[in-house]
Amino acid sequence: MTLHRIRGGPRLSVDNDRCERFGTCEWEAPGLFELGRDGRLRYRRRVSDEDAERAAAAARCCPMQAIVVRGVPG
Amino acid sequence: MSDGDRIVIAGAGVAGLRAAERLRELGFDGELVLIGDEPRRPYHRPSVSKQLITGAARPVDMTLKSYTELDARWRLGTRATHLDTTQHVVHLPGGEELWYDGLVVATGVVPRHLPGSPRHDPRVRVLRTAEDAAAVRRALAASNKAAVVIGGGLIGCEFAASMRQMGRDVTLVGHARAPLYRFGPRIAASVTELHRQHRAGLAMNTAVRHWISTKETFGLHLTNNQLVVASCVVLAIGSVPAVDWLRGSGLTLDDGVLCEPTLFATGAEDVVVAGDVARWPNLRFDDEPRRVEHWLNAVESGRAAAENLLAGRGQARPFTPLPRAWSSLYEVRLQTIGLPALAEDTVRLADGVTGFVRAGELVGACGWDRPKAMLYWTAELDRRLPAPATTPAPARWSGPEARPAVGTAP
Repeated sequence: MTLHRIRGGPRLSVDNDRCERFGTCEWEAPGLFELGRDGRLRYRRRVSDEDAERAAAAARCCPMQAIVVRGVPG
Repeated sequence: MSDGDRIVIAGAGVAGLRAAERLRELGFDGELVLIGDEPRRPYHRPSVSKQLITGAARPVDMTLKSYTELDARWRLGTRATHLDTTQHVVHLPGGEELWYDGLVVATGVVPRHLPGSPRHDPRVRVLRTAEDAAAVRRALAASNKAAVVIGGGLIGCEFAASMRQMGRDVTLVGHARAPLYRFGPRIAASVTELHRQHRAGLAMNTAVRHWISTKETFGLHLTNNQLVVASCVVLAIGSVPAVDWLRGSGLTLDDGVLCEPTLFATGAEDVVVAGDVARWPNLRFDDEPRRVEHWLNAVESGRAAAENLLAGRGQARPFTPLPRAWSSLYEVRLQTIGLPALAEDTVRLADGVTGFVRAGELVGACGWDRPKAMLYWTAELDRRLPAPATTPAPARWSGPEARPAVGTAP
């Protein structure tokens, strides 16, 4: 059994001190991230293994490098 | 490429890092060598004109993460000196030769020099690396006089905003009518007003006539007869592709490395190019080769170049991104999509969103602090300018003897 299963799958977090709410993450991973009409960023804290790749894409593309993905399989 | 087990990546910026990451994701299990002229691992270069200048972050805070195990050999502080595509060898200082089966060229750009500027003076700097940011901070600390930035593009504007955030006086000197003028008159007017509100000085429509260097300060005598006194001067007048090491290599050098639509370099079978240095035709727009100096393009082209290198020239897919870029100026988020530079005309698409039009067709958009609207317009531009239909999914690496891919190992 791999570590991420023990922890319950990949997890997302966003560093609020860094995030400037450009919304690039929503373009990369709609459904995982959403920039609300109020300008706030909402995101799923736990994602499925299938969504981990999109979560990593959002983290890679974040202009502020504010997204942390933990427990990615593989 | 179809066999061999060493891929060399020349350039350890974000494009080189993302190429390396994608090679491993796709199961390449051979040797991976990254050559970088800077002494540190890839870091978030956009922070140079912002957090690293203001001191809000240290370079180590800006190190880029990899989302897969790279298992790479790093040759940092090392500049590739020559490429021989017939022998498949990258030359390094001291006569070292590094053979490759596949090469990714990702050496980026170097800041443009301003003729007549005293670059040997430590108070005159370009702004490209973490070392540049540290040097500017040292010059700022040595004097309480104003800073001057020459160049009204994004870096110049970001530097001016960073100075004001630090409480330093700053003057931006530019030859254009207004800062960011290439984004059209609406954006230029907004950014001019924004600098005024934050009391950053603007000296536009002008250039430096004389540099007057004294022990304490610089005096810049401008062509409009204004005299500006500065503690340090930052040159932010664009950049040129870092291709010196490729002269005589057989690659076509013409404002960067000329590439096929797939990012394969013309003139070689096993060389792909990524990031700012690649000049390739983006078939989403037309078949004219262009360079795109945006950070997100470096991420995307690094990955695409890696995919195509593994697929081989015959199976490679055209790289057809919808370019995206961003900047923060003071509290305003500026975003562009598409290729605004192609436009003959601009149009107001929505509140704070300017459209860029070529031959009646939307080719780009720019948002003034409108990230939500820009998501809509990104989707809209993606719909209006579809990528030409393409073909197979990225090939997985099937090494010299079709070894099992490393990504499938337990």
